[in-house]
Amino acid sequence: MAARQISLIGAALLAWGLVVAQDPPPIAPGKGGKAEKAAPRPEGQSPASKARPKTVTPQTYTVEQIQTGELRFGAQCGFCHGRDAAGGETGPDLTRSELVAQDVRGDKLGPLVRAGRVDAGMPSFQLNDSELTAIVAFLHRQMDEASTLGGGRRSVEPEDLTTGNAADGRAYFNGTGGCSECHSATGDLAGIATRYQGLTLLQRMLYPSGRPAPSPPKATFTLASGQTIVATLTGEDEFTVTVTDPLGAPQTYQRSAVKVKIENPMAAHFEQLSKYTDASMHNVLAYLETLK
Amino acid sequence: MRFFCSFAIGASLIGMAAAQGVDPQKLMNPPADAWLTYHGEYNGQRHSKLTQITPQNIENLKQVWSFQTTGNQAIKASPILVDGRIYITTPDHIWAVDARTGQELWHYQQPANNAFHIGHRGAAIYKDTVYLTTPDCHLVALDAKSGNVKWDVVIADSGKGYWSSNAPLVVKNHVLVGVSGDFDNVPGQLKSIDADTGKMQWIFYSTPPAGSKDSDSGGATGGQMWTTGTYDPELNLVYVGTGNPTPVLNGNPRPGDNPWTCSIVALNPDTGKLVWGFQVSPHDTHDWDANEVPVLVDAEFDGRPRKMVMQASRNGYFFVLDRTNGKNLLTAPFAAVNWAKGIDALGRPIRDTAKEPKEDGVLVAPNEAGATNFRPPSFDPQTGFLIVNAQDGYGIYFFKSEHGGYGWAGADYNITGKAFLRAIDYRTGKIAWEHPIGDGAGTAGVLTTAAGLTISGDNRTNVIAFRTSDGATLWHQNIGRVQNAPITYLLDGKQYLMVGGGTTLYAFALP
Repeated sequence: MAARQISLIGAALLAWGLVVAQDPPPIAPGKGGKAEKAAPRPEGQSPASKARPKTVTPQTYTVEQIQTGELRFGAQCGFCHGRDAAGGETGPDLTRSELVAQDVRGDKLGPLVRAGRVDAGMPSFQLNDSELTAIVAFLHRQMDEASTLGGGRRSVEPEDLTTGNAADGRAYFNGTGGCSECHSATGDLAGIATRYQGLTLLQRMLYPSGRPAPSPPKATFTLASGQTIVATLTGEDEFTVTVTDPLGAPQTYQRSAVKVKIENPMAAHFEQLSKYTDASMHNVLAYLETLK
Repeated sequence: MRFFCSFAIGASLIGMAAAQGVDPQKLMNPPADAWLTYHGEYNGQRHSKLTQITPQNIENLKQVWSFQTTGNQAIKASPILVDGRIYITTPDHIWAVDARTGQELWHYQQPANNAFHIGHRGAAIYKDTVYLTTPDCHLVALDAKSGNVKWDVVIADSGKGYWSSNAPLVVKNHVLVGVSGDFDNVPGQLKSIDADTGKMQWIFYSTPPAGSKDSDSGGATGGQMWTTGTYDPELNLVYVGTGNPTPVLNGNPRPGDNPWTCSIVALNPDTGKLVWGFQVSPHDTHDWDANEVPVLVDAEFDGRPRKMVMQASRNGYFFVLDRTNGKNLLTAPFAAVNWAKGIDALGRPIRDTAKEPKEDGVLVAPNEAGATNFRPPSFDPQTGFLIVNAQDGYGIYFFKSEHGGYGWAGADYNITGKAFLRAIDYRTGKIAWEHPIGDGAGTAGVLTTAAGLTISGDNRTNVIAFRTSDGATLWHQNIGRVQNAPITYLLDGKQYLMVGGGTTLYAFALP
């Protein structure tokens, strides 16, 4: 990651100024994300609400391949995704993965496994073709089996999450919770319940993340001239800020070399986590479920 | 004596001043030119008396060499150093590296196996033997000079769901080795292996196997001891943190407190007998292993000199105990917590059953990643601060009956968190200072030195030096994500700082 020298910054920022003079518009759903792209998702469905996905293209594997894959998956993937691929300490349930459903003999899984999803904490795995095929075989088998179980272990169904009171949730949303200071039931949240349901809606309500990207943090640079330039923040630490330039490329600046202010709209969501009771959390979810 | 002579000849060839094997005496009094154990010293303070590198001159620190491991496993181990050789591990791998040049001296790789490859904490050394645990639960004894296998024993059945990432603790001729296993209902076990022969000396169960009369865990399994303990030679007690019970999120099949899961236990290293135990999370249902380092400190508490053990635990509470008897001196939260209703008469948090996993989910702080985790903290004697990588984290926890009673037995999801380096004043439990290091849970351990330096890493890719007194930043380098604890040592009279970033090990020194 190359940090730019101060001498380059002026020109870069001026160039941006032409394009990004004001706040960038919120990233449209489906166009956000980082290196990875969201799998196509039909409107009105979320992974938790719709029927379990099934492998779309029939494909056959030998028993030996599946068994080999089961062992290898358990060793290298199982800690995060669960040995049965149904989710583990940090990794999602792959028996519900749209990517697995769409995959044909590793054409989608292979590149992902080999590249990793470093931002999401998944390392890259160096596997030869037969090793990869074995894992793919195992995942398709697990998906096929899980699709016949109907709510397997370690899963959360939308109907598990219907304990809240929507009226109380609405009052909290507009009152104590302060949600309405940033959100509107008829504005940004209109139809939210047709886009997300169940666990996905709850997770995004508590802390919007994942794909499509939520409102990203923004970095406001102030030049010596007093001109301000706003860019989307993609990463930061104590020493650097990384923003997306108008061409979509990441640019990293030393904090010591620029005057920059970061605003993160997600900060209010973090603050709220220490204020929710379980009842108010379920009530707000129930209210959001009414926004169809 | 024969051993001593042959070693002296070998050592003199590479110009070593100290030409002795690592005997028990040396382990109790490690020289400045060595880092003999995971923690550096038996007390687990991870504090160095070296003062060449100071807050004033650290800005001049330069990289001397780097060593690239092979494979895609990040370095989550603490290196050990003896006689000018570094030993560093990742799952299935150990390398001996020349501490002066960074050149590989030898490399041992465990044959391919199908156990969990989640991380590895490091190796141990005794006399001229290096000990490596493997994911498939072998303990391999290797010749320190050549890397040749001396013996290889199985310490647990990986087919039943055990795996090992453990950096063994050597006490006298005992090699204490622990294992992991959260996905199966298997008893928690710590084994003592004879350092010379590989024969088992004793086994301690934190949860008893079926039919055992040793203890009553209330039907719980688990309580694995997968991190390296500490040792007080005067009391002849080993202190070990134990993991969470299994089934993990479903507490119904295991009523009661489930001793000795989520506990600090004091064991006699010669017999493996429990001397006392203190449970930091009675009846855990959130995967909050109490495997964090039990740090041993001799200092005043409430005006009296005390032999203490302290732990900043994954459940968000900081504990100070009298380590002679396990009696609680102080319990205080050091991160966001919402799962306890108070502290009981024994100093244990009182669990709030409303925050146990439910069918419709409960919002819990900390989350599964914990208020801290296995990465070691450091105790600075000058300030009395235990400096720990802490997280204010939130997660949602679910359990319904169809999740069953085996292994994980539930579902939980981390929502988000913020990480800080926090200095806990052991006398009060209060946070003296905190330094934000990024979103999510931190991944770096901590080192302090007598010069007033604290070394750790942030949640991006920096190793950072802080001033111990107030947490101010003094120096940093972008080396890749730090997922281990730095060490420091003297070599040829010069102080080095060593830390892994990503899959690479870096050595720094002043010019």
